[in-house]
Amino acid sequence: MLSLLLLGAFVWSLASINWRGPIGHAGGTAALFDFVLALFPPELSVEFLRVGLLATWQTVTFAVAAITLAVLIGFPLGVLASGTLAGSHSGKAAMAATRLLLACLRSVHELVWAVLFVAAFGFSSLTAILAIALPYAGILGRVYAERLNDVPDGPLIALRTSGASPMGVLLYGRLPIAFPDLLSYSFYRFECTIRAAAIMSFIGIRGLGFEIQLSLRDLMFGQVWTLMLFLVALVVLVDLWSSKIRRSLAS
Amino acid sequence: MIRPGAIMSAYRARRRPQRRSITFARASAYGFLALVAISWGYILQGADSGIADVVSGQTWSNAGRFLRDLLGLDMDTKPAYLQLDQWAEKGKLAYHTLAMSVLAISIAGIGALLTFVPGARNVSDGDLGGTPSRTGRTMYFFIRSIFAFTRAVPELVWALIIVFFLSPGVVPGALALALHNYGVLGKLSSEAVENMDPAPARAIRSTGASNFQMLSYVVLPQVLPQLLTYLLYRWEVVIRTTVVVGFVSAGGLGRDFRLSLSFFHYTELALIIVWYLILVVGVDLVSAWLRRLARFG
Repeated sequence: MLSLLLLGAFVWSLASINWRGPIGHAGGTAALFDFVLALFPPELSVEFLRVGLLATWQTVTFAVAAITLAVLIGFPLGVLASGTLAGSHSGKAAMAATRLLLACLRSVHELVWAVLFVAAFGFSSLTAILAIALPYAGILGRVYAERLNDVPDGPLIALRTSGASPMGVLLYGRLPIAFPDLLSYSFYRFECTIRAAAIMSFIGIRGLGFEIQLSLRDLMFGQVWTLMLFLVALVVLVDLWSSKIRRSLAS
Repeated sequence: MIRPGAIMSAYRARRRPQRRSITFARASAYGFLALVAISWGYILQGADSGIADVVSGQTWSNAGRFLRDLLGLDMDTKPAYLQLDQWAEKGKLAYHTLAMSVLAISIAGIGALLTFVPGARNVSDGDLGGTPSRTGRTMYFFIRSIFAFTRAVPELVWALIIVFFLSPGVVPGALALALHNYGVLGKLSSEAVENMDPAPARAIRSTGASNFQMLSYVVLPQVLPQLLTYLLYRWEVVIRTTVVVGFVSAGGLGRDFRLSLSFFHYTELALIIVWYLILVVGVDLVSAWLRRLARFG
């Protein structure tokens, strides 16, 4: 049933496109050949590898800065949104308000934030970092809230009967138990901020995306491949690191 | 009265992790903290770090003016979001954007569906009862590399490359989105096969089932619901990204977003953002509804 529905959606999307216009353009196929052939081999001169390494480092710094800011914003919001501190009516209201705020933050893509922030605040490194940090804070906050609520009841009841305040239950019960989960999820999101940092080239932030745009503009497809391979290596490396940490925290 | 700390240490004692893994996680934590310090230092000492802008009054008055422009407060003409034909015009673009996102996720899903089986480790090394072969292992490695590659490159970069080959419009944007999400979906569904219960597969294999029978009676029934759930989750991500890809591929809302920003048509920009939010919230709701169907149906 559902599959049929999805198939229908696919057919609709195909049908709603204007196919009469040209899909390719003159020279498109030739450019495609040039592009694929440029992989053998990609640009491997020492100077260019140095450019690639510097760009990789710049992307990493932005990704790290963005994820730290995202955690710093997302964590308090996540605690509020989990409602674990909410006893009274005002607490419940604060919980609903934070949930709405988190939903708003994460419904806008980081590059849309970036473009708007550049128009509002002007271009700077902090603008880009804030643009990445806000939607990621929205995602992290929501997931933190869920994980804090999913903590098994046993230890919490024990704490409560021993007279701990809601704050005490949070600090000594929920947080220590959920901590490995929170950490490994944040690390997983770090991998995503690397991609986000790379596309901040669009507003002029230096890094891998920036160099890719430059090389594309110069039609240096070999350089584009090199830079993409740098990006792939970086993401795979972070992926391996985070999965190793996840496994060591889970055991 | 029991100390709260005592309860926690009792709880921890029961599930104490091994010593070695603790040191790895701890070393990583220190390493990451060092990375944080270095990164912030590197960025803040850069020429246009923007740290001075935070305290300058100029920045904030600029931001205030931008907000007033978005709302069209200082304008003589009627703001775009109060004109019905503007709503209709941008709505048509939103419709294109929606079609683009559906097309993209469909292509990605079909691609993943065609390739996820050889990309699973337990299929390639014969853990599900097949015969391990060299081609199987090569296929596994090859397909996983493709997943990793397409996934690591962001949609926007794919779009920048694809507009070299195709004329601007909805199709190149959809292809760019599809490529990245193909990697994501492929990886997730291959991992779903790897986490599958191997017993039914081995049982049916021992009765002499062919590969095709294995696929249609064992693998697909177990993995397809999961694949559909992932697909719908990714669709929620895709609709957010479609606008961004439209910046370069010139399809849907993204193109007009960029145009009205560069022509300073700020009230039109506000209207586009409203349509964007309608799309995002709408897709989230539909996807949640479909996911509930997938779980029960």
